[in-house]
Amino acid sequence: MRRFGALLAALLLAGSLTACGGAAAQEMQTAQVFAMDTVMGLQATGGETAEALAAAEDEIYRLDEELSRTREDSAVSQLNRAEAGTSVEVGAELYDLIARALAFSQATDGAFDITLAPVSSAWGFTEDAYRVPAQEELAGLLAHVGSEHVHLDGASAVSLDQGTQIDLGAIAKGYASDAVAAIYQEHGITHGIVDLGGNTWVCGGNLKGEPWRIGVQDPARAGEAEAYTGILRMGDGFAVTSGGYQRYFEENGKTYHHIIDPATGHPAESGLTSVTVVADGTVGNGTMCDALSTALFVMGEERALDFWRSGVYDFDLILVTEDGRLLVTDGIADRFQPDETAGYAYEVIS
Amino acid sequence: MRMKSSPKLRPNGWDGLAAAVVLVLAVACAALVWTGGGQSGPLTAVVSADGETVDQVVLADLTEPEERTYTANGCTLRVTFGPGSAQVTASDCPTQDCVHTGKITRGGQSIVCLPARIVIQLEGGPAADSGVDLVIG
Repeated sequence: MRRFGALLAALLLAGSLTACGGAAAQEMQTAQVFAMDTVMGLQATGGETAEALAAAEDEIYRLDEELSRTREDSAVSQLNRAEAGTSVEVGAELYDLIARALAFSQATDGAFDITLAPVSSAWGFTEDAYRVPAQEELAGLLAHVGSEHVHLDGASAVSLDQGTQIDLGAIAKGYASDAVAAIYQEHGITHGIVDLGGNTWVCGGNLKGEPWRIGVQDPARAGEAEAYTGILRMGDGFAVTSGGYQRYFEENGKTYHHIIDPATGHPAESGLTSVTVVADGTVGNGTMCDALSTALFVMGEERALDFWRSGVYDFDLILVTEDGRLLVTDGIADRFQPDETAGYAYEVIS
Repeated sequence: MRMKSSPKLRPNGWDGLAAAVVLVLAVACAALVWTGGGQSGPLTAVVSADGETVDQVVLADLTEPEERTYTANGCTLRVTFGPGSAQVTASDCPTQDCVHTGKITRGGQSIVCLPARIVIQLEGGPAADSGVDLVIG
């Protein structure tokens, strides 16, 4: 009898050992969402996982409906359709997002601009009907581009000047990542990945108790799998990448990408092929990373690094240049492992 | 002075069995923890449209390339599955991003066609060399 007691105790001990590996044995639950013109992947575990994923999915669809320029019934479309100079009630949420976008425009000296919508359409990037517009056409459209053509009226109304339209595509996914991060936190998610098509928020590290390993796509090998400039280790934080390789078309042997320089109306030719903005996981930083990744791509290496050094916003950078250099700011250099096979000259920037 | 051990405390076959059970359980637990739950099966392509799985192809079972077509949201993709690989070889979608993605060969990799809302995801098989949890860019 004593032997059977010992055997039972041994089994209980073994069972308790299995429980010690509980975190590792946990499984990530996943969800896939098609929204905002991209495919999004959500992973989570711990807390109210199913509820968190369902709420996140609903929130993404809601924001897609509210912020889309191509949906006729969206709040943004209603603002764009309104008669010039008419004050339109857009609600506190959209008002605040537009106000933030205007602040990013001002901070980046116009490199980030939500009024590029007609120019982007002229290139066919909004409608997937690519073409190279004539210079006269672009000049006419650029007359209506600039944050000075957007007016915040009162606490929840916005008006646009004649010919001006807004497109929040360069900030909407970042804003959505903030919203999903907040939902994860509300539901007690302990380990999570929110991947909204290049806009990423992670929390809690992986199930082995290590930081998440994030591969940063090599823009020179965009069509290849496992082709990274390096791997960023991050337990909690946001990371957003913008690059001309993500969306482009070719005409007469020339490549035209989707990141438009507001100063010229043409795809930005700044000497950068990829910009990754990294910030801590505080809700709100997702919007910032999204806006800055676009703006700094337009600004180019020198202006982007000057902007980083100015300390206006708290973030770090991974830049890839056309001439084969990989620049990483010193705030994340100890967490970034460059891939030597990518062939870039690696520099840590301080 | 020598101590005499009681015959009842001497190990016998039952004690050995108990020790063996504990040992086997310990090894099994360790294997479970260190292999991430042993989820890795044969390399399989899972095709989904609008988030719903519409097809699964066990690539490890293929001995020669096999072509299949999938239609969703007004777009048709021609996918070639090979022993250990999947590739969209043709698509009438406007962006052609799915075709540009090229061949995928390892678990965790995927091909996405946004206009069609079709995703081809590889599951199982050996883990990717780089061991990344996600890719940005």
